[in-house]
Amino acid sequence: MRVLYSFIVLLLVVSNGFAQTLFMESNLDGVVLDIGETFKADTFITDLDGNKTICNSLIYYVKDGAFNVGNAIEIDPIDGIIKAQQPGSHEVVAVCVGMDDGNRLSQTFKVTVNYPKTIELDFETMDNIFVGENIEAVVKILSSDGYERVGNVANFVSSDPEVIKVDLQNNLIAIGKGTAVITARIDGVEKSKKIIVSHNPVSKIEIYSDDHTVRTGDVVNIMTLIKDKKGNIIDGINPHFSFSGISNDVSSSASGLINNDGDFVADSSGLYTIYASIGNFTASMKINVVDRNSAKEMVQLSRGEVTDRRTSDAWFFEGTDGRDYGISGTWGSDGTFYVWDVTDPSEITKVNSVTVDARIVNDVKISEDGKIGVISREGASNRKNGIIILDISNPKDIQILSEYSKNLTGGVHNIFIYDNHVYALNAFANPSKFFVINIDNPSSPYEVGSFQVDEAGSAIHDVWIENGIAYSSNWKHGVSLIDVGNGVAGGSPSNPVEIGNYRYASGANHAAFPFKSKSTGKFYVIAGDEIFPEGVDGDSPNETAGFLHFIDFTDLNNPKEVARYEVPGHGSHNFWVEDDMLFIGMYTAGVRVVDISGDLMGDLYKQGREIASFNTGLPNGYVANSPMAWGAQFFKETVFYSDFFTGIGALKILDKPIDNSNTNQFKTDKTLDEALGAKNLFELFEIISNPPLDN
Amino acid sequence: MVRTLLLLFFCCYSLHSQEYYVYVASESEDTVSLLQFDGENITELDRIKVGFIYTEIEGPHGITIDPNGKYWYVSLAHGTPNGKLVKYTTGDNRMVGKTNLGLFPATMEISKFTGMLYCVNFNLHGSMKPSSVSVVDPETMSEITRINTGIMPHGSRMSVNGLFHYSVAMMSGTLFEIDAVKLKVNRMLNLKPHNSTKMDMNDNSMPNMHSYIQPTWVVPHPVENYVYIAGNGSNEIIEVNLSDWSVSKRMPTSNGPYNVEITPNGKYMLATIKNDGATSIWDLESKTRIKKLKNSTTISHGIAIADDNKFAFVSLEGVGGEQGKVDVICLTNFEIVASIDVGKQAGGITFWKKQ
Repeated sequence: MRVLYSFIVLLLVVSNGFAQTLFMESNLDGVVLDIGETFKADTFITDLDGNKTICNSLIYYVKDGAFNVGNAIEIDPIDGIIKAQQPGSHEVVAVCVGMDDGNRLSQTFKVTVNYPKTIELDFETMDNIFVGENIEAVVKILSSDGYERVGNVANFVSSDPEVIKVDLQNNLIAIGKGTAVITARIDGVEKSKKIIVSHNPVSKIEIYSDDHTVRTGDVVNIMTLIKDKKGNIIDGINPHFSFSGISNDVSSSASGLINNDGDFVADSSGLYTIYASIGNFTASMKINVVDRNSAKEMVQLSRGEVTDRRTSDAWFFEGTDGRDYGISGTWGSDGTFYVWDVTDPSEITKVNSVTVDARIVNDVKISEDGKIGVISREGASNRKNGIIILDISNPKDIQILSEYSKNLTGGVHNIFIYDNHVYALNAFANPSKFFVINIDNPSSPYEVGSFQVDEAGSAIHDVWIENGIAYSSNWKHGVSLIDVGNGVAGGSPSNPVEIGNYRYASGANHAAFPFKSKSTGKFYVIAGDEIFPEGVDGDSPNETAGFLHFIDFTDLNNPKEVARYEVPGHGSHNFWVEDDMLFIGMYTAGVRVVDISGDLMGDLYKQGREIASFNTGLPNGYVANSPMAWGAQFFKETVFYSDFFTGIGALKILDKPIDNSNTNQFKTDKTLDEALGAKNLFELFEIISNPPLDN
Repeated sequence: MVRTLLLLFFCCYSLHSQEYYVYVASESEDTVSLLQFDGENITELDRIKVGFIYTEIEGPHGITIDPNGKYWYVSLAHGTPNGKLVKYTTGDNRMVGKTNLGLFPATMEISKFTGMLYCVNFNLHGSMKPSSVSVVDPETMSEITRINTGIMPHGSRMSVNGLFHYSVAMMSGTLFEIDAVKLKVNRMLNLKPHNSTKMDMNDNSMPNMHSYIQPTWVVPHPVENYVYIAGNGSNEIIEVNLSDWSVSKRMPTSNGPYNVEITPNGKYMLATIKNDGATSIWDLESKTRIKKLKNSTTISHGIAIADDNKFAFVSLEGVGGEQGKVDVICLTNFEIVASIDVGKQAGGITFWKKQ
């Protein structure tokens, strides 16, 4: 049987011809290099009999592309001279091209680049610990060329396991009083550190809080008093905090979050126990968490339906005539934008439409005085996109004042108007910039400045301005704060100065909105993702992902991400904050309104901070029954939104809890009751299946 | 005369049991259409949504088929900021690979000799500066190198033997020849006439000026040692003799020649006349224009020619909300014989097969 199998395999190999009968061999195979070392590849072709031939036209490259993931290996594609740049395992491909009948032969070779030789270890572990403590042993590993190796990869041993024991995860466990020498070893280099284990002076931990009953999402600060056996307070010792809990919902876990400062927040209602530990002393207290009960009824007042094309951004404002208006762009269409009278939000009325040479009017913005409008343009037939500046003082008779495309020909995706300047970004360029355009005379705009993220491969997607600070959303380069007139760093429209930046792992920062919490005075920037995890799927519902990141920017130099709002299975887009309430166009999750009052920490969705939600889809939408909320704006006590597939709409949050009286209930059907004696369909089916017997 | 008419009818309408397949990209719709032409009627077999972010236009611009006809490749010009090259199977149109390229990757072609794909990074954004040609191994979809050329390179075409890649830098006014094996620029040619007094980008004293010729396309002759270039700004087709690397002829055109293609037999040259919404046809033996056809909508863009020399397929962008179109030109009677709507701003177009 084995012989037969071998014969079949051989037959398949031979019958497949060229590619399987010739192979490439190279001295690249298994080569190991040090960083900075060069190596000349020598590659040739062999056949099944081991005969070697030279390839006349060889091309070498590093798989994954040297330009796409950094210069892990520098390679001359023709000479095959490689230079090791970064440690790790890399793939070098050799391709023999121009062979007979247009064939080519290629082979991938593994090339290993050694980590640079370690020359120094630097302990980052404290000198003194108490009996019962359990801390991680950490050393910084430095190489001769300044390369710092990440990861806790050294081996640690203790000189006295009766004092300090090292576990398999490189944790140091203080067993008893005394001194132990901890030695770290890697690559033949070692470093030792003496650690003193003292008697734990703590005799008592008093744990307390101002709050014992809180709502889900409320941040409770847990405080402690550390005392010795004489009852004296010991300063400078920080306890380790943890918690456990029992949820009121028997099928749910009592989840939450607690940090090293003792801030605790619970996701679900229940009884939680908070622990503060120092060595072998632990104290605990109970926190009763009740449901937040934030949810309120939100109802649709009216819609401005656009179902024959897709809708992009919208802006709602008070016009110079005292009436209220909305302006909405269109996407992938004919360059039209619409003007709506929304004075009565229960009766949105289209009052104007304007068409320009474009296929996308992605963004629309109106000046604070309601006189000037600016629209962005993509898909202009002459490929000179730029922006269009409008006289919108009479929304029913809009006049084009000027078109501006200098540096913006490739397409403008987003814009903002602030203090007689338009901030417009060339989203697809490199470097991607926002340009600052003076519109003192809107008929004659001119550029006064620009800003770019000064890093390779940067891209700016959106910009928002408040109090002279511009907030630019830069995809993988996170959100940047730029002084464009605030004065905090001497910035101005002609001299934008970056004053802060925060970036995060998803690399998908698409929009940003600043807000100062009315209830706490803390300053946050909300940074939103935009992610389509499965790509695009034509004119049908699409999967969206990503969430809103809450970054505490109270200290500009030390921003901290403290919370998130993530609707499972749905992604974020544009959003707005008013009076500690967050209004979000949450794409496939429709419009969401979230309570962001008080301190923010952890997962706001799980905490039940959501006040209201609304499904923006329509049966007659551009894509039927598929919500795709683009953005939301709170304007004159009304939640306005735009939806990609249905146009715009107005929502009202009612000051009453959600009416769920009809949820999951069998309703009495009077017709059935009167005719058949069944209160509902369920009873009807029961009657039909078990007919009463006649006696 | 009657015999001639009968012959024309015979050629264009009667014998065509053949079916021709063409892919065309629509830049403002993020779609690629697969079209089938049976000699009389053209139909859209499939419209494939391309891209990765639904609410951003990613701009499919260039499209090409590999020599064995198994895969098609489309460049997505917009990016964050880098554009992408995406690989699909022909026929069932499944995405099977992608890689990042440079800024606004545009036109491309695969070398029959190296099997590598060469794509210009047009970079039409912001201040003008030299860009590059990306070289991609389409088997692994790895970008293997970038070769620096001029400002706004466009019109990526390979020599028939696959040994050389030609592109023109639109704002530099330069023709570039790249050695497809050595992956280096072999030769450069300033396309401005020697006696021209017009200033352009190459005048260092006028750094903000750019080439008045604004070449947008180059295509090698399939048989002879020439390339033909669309002088979009100078309204001419420029013939360059590759033997002595010099301009050998300038053929005036009407307003804004954009793309140029030559029939596989080398007999005819077609150029889209972008600003006129027209397509012009030259007899390359006599070097004379024999026809200028008004296309069925505005902004004529790309050309794909059937491998049997009988039909040309011309993409038309349209303006604003107008649908893009593809016109079919019979290369026997030089008339438009069919037309079809596709997505907005139809641009890159490539011939797949006939069967």
